[in-house]
Amino acid sequence: MGDNARMHLAVSLLSGIADPGVEAEFSHLASFVQKAEAAGLDMVLLADSAPASDGDAANSPMPFEATTLLAALATVTSKIGLVAAASTIAHQPYNLARRFASLDIISHGRTGWNATMAQNPRETANFSRPEGFSSGDFRRRTEEYISIVQGLWQGWDADALLFDKSGGRFHDPEKMHLLDHKGEFFSVCGPLNVARSPQDAPVLVLSGLSEPDLDIAARTADVILLDERPIDDAKAHYADLRRRVAACGRDLDAVKVLMNVSSIADSKPAAVADSLEEGFRAKSCDGFNIIMPAQLSALDDFVDLVLPELRRRGLFRESYRGATLRSHLGLAGGGGQ
Amino acid sequence: MTARQMKLGAFLWATGHHIAAWRHPKAHVTAGIDIDHYIQLARTAEAAKFDMVFCEDAAGLREANVGIASQTSRSIGFEPISLLSALAVQTSRIGLVSTASTSYNEPYGLARTFLSLDHLSGGRAGWNLVTSASPIEAANFGSTGLRPHADRYERAREFAEVVARLWHGKLDGASGHDGQSFSVRDPLDLPRSPQGAPVLVQAGASDVGRDLAARTADVVFTAAQTFEEAKAFYDDLKGRLAAYGREPDDIKIMPGVAPVVAETEAEAREKYEELQELIPDDVGVALLSSYLSISDLWRCPIDGPLPELPPSESMQSRQALVIEQSRRDNLSIRQLARHFAGARGHWRIVGTAAQVADELQARFEGGAADGFNVMPSYFPGELDAFATLVVPELQRRGLFRRDYEGRTLRDHLGLKRPV
Repeated sequence: MGDNARMHLAVSLLSGIADPGVEAEFSHLASFVQKAEAAGLDMVLLADSAPASDGDAANSPMPFEATTLLAALATVTSKIGLVAAASTIAHQPYNLARRFASLDIISHGRTGWNATMAQNPRETANFSRPEGFSSGDFRRRTEEYISIVQGLWQGWDADALLFDKSGGRFHDPEKMHLLDHKGEFFSVCGPLNVARSPQDAPVLVLSGLSEPDLDIAARTADVILLDERPIDDAKAHYADLRRRVAACGRDLDAVKVLMNVSSIADSKPAAVADSLEEGFRAKSCDGFNIIMPAQLSALDDFVDLVLPELRRRGLFRESYRGATLRSHLGLAGGGGQ
Repeated sequence: MTARQMKLGAFLWATGHHIAAWRHPKAHVTAGIDIDHYIQLARTAEAAKFDMVFCEDAAGLREANVGIASQTSRSIGFEPISLLSALAVQTSRIGLVSTASTSYNEPYGLARTFLSLDHLSGGRAGWNLVTSASPIEAANFGSTGLRPHADRYERAREFAEVVARLWHGKLDGASGHDGQSFSVRDPLDLPRSPQGAPVLVQAGASDVGRDLAARTADVVFTAAQTFEEAKAFYDDLKGRLAAYGREPDDIKIMPGVAPVVAETEAEAREKYEELQELIPDDVGVALLSSYLSISDLWRCPIDGPLPELPPSESMQSRQALVIEQSRRDNLSIRQLARHFAGARGHWRIVGTAAQVADELQARFEGGAADGFNVMPSYFPGELDAFATLVVPELQRRGLFRRDYEGRTLRDHLGLKRPV
């Protein structure tokens, strides 16, 4: 059975803690991610935004920023992919590329960056851009930003480090490359002062897409997250995205499309499995991103009841076959090439 | 009340603070891609009861000349905030301090990130504020040229003020910040720090840098070769505190020290010479050039004296230190380059545990330091040597703690908890 016959599964942790009785301690989150790893899920996505308003007061925010949390989780897991959201408004592209390159080495090649194409007014207000960006500017800026980050991730060849003590050659200067980017919004010389990723490059997960963003996603993303929608609509979207991926000259398997699913808590396990199977077999996506609160009980229901059913039906692999996030997702080297 | 005790930082950097450290047979040459190595270093420092581990930082290469850069181990390494976040959950008591620049960050994001590190570590985080002087860094952030010294410090002053208001819960929707360089609307979306606020560290030694430190810093790192320089800096900075309504003990001054320690003095000298021999001349001269902010030092005869130099825009105070030493000790460029390459302008002590402890004690008790930022020559061996030889000697003399008394970095440093 080929790779395409099995679905990819991610879980997204909501940034709020739904149950105020549960301490959002690191050890609690570590247990959650370890459970997801024991279940063989492809990756956990860590959100990084505050509750939208006081109306969410029942959700106390997690006390952690996502990239710092990812670094900590990387030291208590060994297989599962770890993807952190990080805003293109909150970080300079050099700093963001560097943070994720470092995370990827800390995690031994299990890191991804979840970038959103949607502008968050809360961030522009707190990052000295109160006027925000026009949607056209923001789209061009995000596209330029992503190309800088992916370019910086390629700055050191995989065999650049020599560690030659007696010859006095730490690295091969020919295998270190300047980016020398000068664009509409940024100019970045490079290279990063972090070594090449153990998985070639961190995985780029794109979300928050609207229609005009689809070609950018098709060119650059490794994983695309789509909002939950009726199955016919989803099929059309998936087919459209694959056409765009092919039009960019990329292999169809180089981009995985995952459908967000947020309604599993209210359904019976067999019904959840049925619905995932139906969506997957109808070719509406390559897998699913299950959105849930950071509670072990929510994960237990999915892992202990739904997952065995999917495995029984041959829809999800029994265990990890590799050690990097790219290997879990069936992706070759870094995106955008 | 226990006697005043010194504070100790373990300054973690690449394969070691000696420029040729990576070539030493016992240096861990893959440090920059090995997280387990750093976890081990942090645990060593914690077992020795250090107050903190400290990571310096630059958002770019250290050396523009790629040929020179490729002969050092400093072109690649971990980004420190991700590194310290990993260390936070693999240690339980030691403080975790990282450098971050006010020129290439925004205060809301930096305050939020360090507060997250503080939560991950249970109140052990600190931020070392730098304004960034390197043109290599500037070229990664769209700048056409470095900002003048005064400008960088004005931005840094506003930056530090916003960060402090965010950490102290004094910036909210009703009183956002709208200033010269930054605007911030909301309070942070994370709970208050377990230690009141992360610890604020600074290292700027120029006049404007000292004023910024006197206004806001909890800890000051400094470079001083002689007792007199250290004492003058210490007295000057402590003397500036009253103007900001602060007490002398509200700031801990921790000069860098680069010890080479062994069981006997002869062994220590031998160890030091072994490292010095590993420095290629072009690397030593390049490092000295970058400290002096001049690009053509290599044109001067290497066995001749340092030429007369124009005042520097970027690193005013350290340049003065270098020049003063070269004149005082009548050093050639090669000698000066080797000397500085080894300790980067910091204070070097080569000797036995008792000799190192004597020197530290003299500065500590002579009112020239509240503690020291220890810069091991190579890792892990020289951190191990300090931990197993010098720390027990300091403990025997009652100069350093035998165990942690508190849980947070502020507890270790004896700093007030902000209200």
